Amino acid sequence: MTAPTATATRRAPRAGRGTARLRRRAAPYLFVLPFVAIFAAFSVYPLFFTARLSFTDWRGTGAATWVGWDNYTYLLTNPAFWSSLGNSAILWLLIVPVQIVLGILVAVLLNNAKLRLRGLYRVAFIVPFVTPLVAVAQIWVVLFDQRYGAVNAFLGLFGLPDTGWLTTSAWAKPTLALLFLWKTTGFIVIILLSGLQSINASIYEAADLDGASKARQLWNITVPLLRRTIGFAVVLQTLAVFQMFAEPFVVTQGGPYNSTTTAGYYLYNHITRADLGTGAANSFLLVVLVMALSLLFVRLLRAKD
Amino acid sequence: MQRHLLRRRALIASAGLAAAAPALAACGPDIASDDESGASELLKAPDRTKGEITIWDRSGDLFEVFEGTIAAFNAKYPDITVNHVAVDIDAKLQNTLITGADVPDGVFLDDAKVGGFTDYLWDLGDVLAPYAADIAQQKLDVNTVAGGVYGVPFDLDPGLLFYNATALEAAGIDVDAIATYDDLLQAARDYQAAVPGAAPIHLEQSAFLGQLQLEMYASQLGTSIADADGNLRLDTPEFEQILTFLDTVRAEGLGTRAEYLTPTDIAELDNGNQVFYPWAIWFSFAPQQVLTETTGDWRATQLPAWETGGARSGAMGGSSFVLPKDGKNADLAWLFYEFLMFDPAGYAAVWGPGEVYPEGLATSIPSYTPAADPAKPLYSEITALGGQDLWTVATEAGAQIPGGTPTPAWWTGAVDYLGNNVQRMLDGDMTPQEVLAQSSEDIQTNLVDRQ
Repeated sequence: MTAPTATATRRAPRAGRGTARLRRRAAPYLFVLPFVAIFAAFSVYPLFFTARLSFTDWRGTGAATWVGWDNYTYLLTNPAFWSSLGNSAILWLLIVPVQIVLGILVAVLLNNAKLRLRGLYRVAFIVPFVTPLVAVAQIWVVLFDQRYGAVNAFLGLFGLPDTGWLTTSAWAKPTLALLFLWKTTGFIVIILLSGLQSINASIYEAADLDGASKARQLWNITVPLLRRTIGFAVVLQTLAVFQMFAEPFVVTQGGPYNSTTTAGYYLYNHITRADLGTGAANSFLLVVLVMALSLLFVRLLRAKD
Repeated sequence: MQRHLLRRRALIASAGLAAAAPALAACGPDIASDDESGASELLKAPDRTKGEITIWDRSGDLFEVFEGTIAAFNAKYPDITVNHVAVDIDAKLQNTLITGADVPDGVFLDDAKVGGFTDYLWDLGDVLAPYAADIAQQKLDVNTVAGGVYGVPFDLDPGLLFYNATALEAAGIDVDAIATYDDLLQAARDYQAAVPGAAPIHLEQSAFLGQLQLEMYASQLGTSIADADGNLRLDTPEFEQILTFLDTVRAEGLGTRAEYLTPTDIAELDNGNQVFYPWAIWFSFAPQQVLTETTGDWRATQLPAWETGGARSGAMGGSSFVLPKDGKNADLAWLFYEFLMFDPAGYAAVWGPGEVYPEGLATSIPSYTPAADPAKPLYSEITALGGQDLWTVATEAGAQIPGGTPTPAWWTGAVDYLGNNVQRMLDGDMTPQEVLAQSSEDIQTNLVDRQ
């Protein structure tokens, strides 16, 4: 009669251990559950819904007709779609390399402990980033007005003719790129500055002892050790440039002649025309493109551990 | 081992995601059902006068104007509370209508956009029936889609010829003698001869506004970019005549190329180089609020005609009020708009002198003809127009606007083609015929065929 009791006595603690183990195993999942639920509701579900939408001609109401690959075919054979990608690619070339070089130089300067008023400069660089775009855009329009803008007035002092900065296809993209550079470079500077601050100062001290010049230190120490941060900044700005919408929307409305219709702005045009199926297909094509570019940059700029 | 375990977990996660994908994609708004076929229903006038309505207006001067009318409305309907909200309608309306969440009862909307939302809106044919005969035909046309009327017509925006009377008088130009567009060209040539370097006629450089102005010219000729069935009718002699006129202005150097009221435009208006501005009545805002040097010098007259004896005005822009089907008290919102547009106390509150416009809302006239009576002005003489009686000029011009000019749902999208090509013509890169042929092909392919 005692034997079963003894068995039961031995099993009870084992069951307790099992519950505890289960709790331990479940705990991490329970902790991440709120995130997963939100992620599923606001990211995963919209993703699949958009995927489904991209194969229909749904206009926001009523019945949707399954159109297969029609929306994708329409976009891939449409010169306007390729033109929007081309515009974004040119803007990328005008913005990202310049921004990275400029960002590194400014970050190095701001990282110099001997620089006076460093805090003030750091604030000054971030101010454009937090300034409302609509206000900046209005200033841009006035500054770059063809006949009465300050920029042409200044250039006129050197005998240069008036330029249609915002009204000619040739100049609208560089002018928009300049706005984007002015507005967002401060943010890139902050990112690079944080990368710089993680570099051990003793490396520079050793280089100083070896007689390396500051330029050589920049090229041989700073840039290689910042590769991961630079890679992050490049991916971030690639996303920003290919999704760029607000800048052309408020400054040029995509013109002149769609020369500033970026990939993001072109996508918006489908949405405003309630052509949601084509818009969804367009967004998927953009996702694929941006993901491919990001992977490429990450691979190219991956630091050698 | 660890890597192997991670790979296995990733594989399981991917498989799970792939399995969940079809289920997830199938959730949410039913985009494949015929339950909501989009067939609109007729709004019935309410048999109650109590409740709360939410009205969306775009922010700015008109919001303030409508805000000022609520007291007059409540004098007639004291038990209807108006929740008046300033909203970026372009940004919010579409999403709100699609999701059906917090849908307002009434919305201020550009005429050109009404056609794009008809599936969500009440057909107002029934409630508007008692007034329809007295509403400007052009406004009924732009609000009519497939036989249904989806907006309460708000303003009529007749095109007028604004001119700098002081500058033209100094140059010896008689504006009263301008009866046709050929006369306008000659007057511009004469002014340029008197004022070397002047470019007297405004040529719009914004693709959107340029297309809107083109439609004003077309409206004078009783046509528009599409017919009532949505069929494109762009490549026509009427549009060719208009584009040829604009191209002549460009080729002879008679035009100031600038975007509406941008710094260049304002400066050229204020320095006397640009003295003719064929535009909607809302240009009157410029002498009142924007021009500094020449305010008081400007006047308005009817547009020239395309042919002797032709209509002296066309519509340019305009807005209406739409009532979403998902609005809880859209029927009460109808009472609000009925009061503002068709009740003498209502339209006097809208167009009469108020806090925002002390001389009255002189940027438009009512589309309801009994309210737009030349003999019963709702707003007074405009000081910035030298004390001119703009009401009489505008109402007489408005009465001449031909009907038969509907606005298709894809009108805004056409700017990418027609609007841009008109600008290319003004750059000297396309002929009028090329603009019409190319734009027709592009609009047909990218907009009409994809409806």
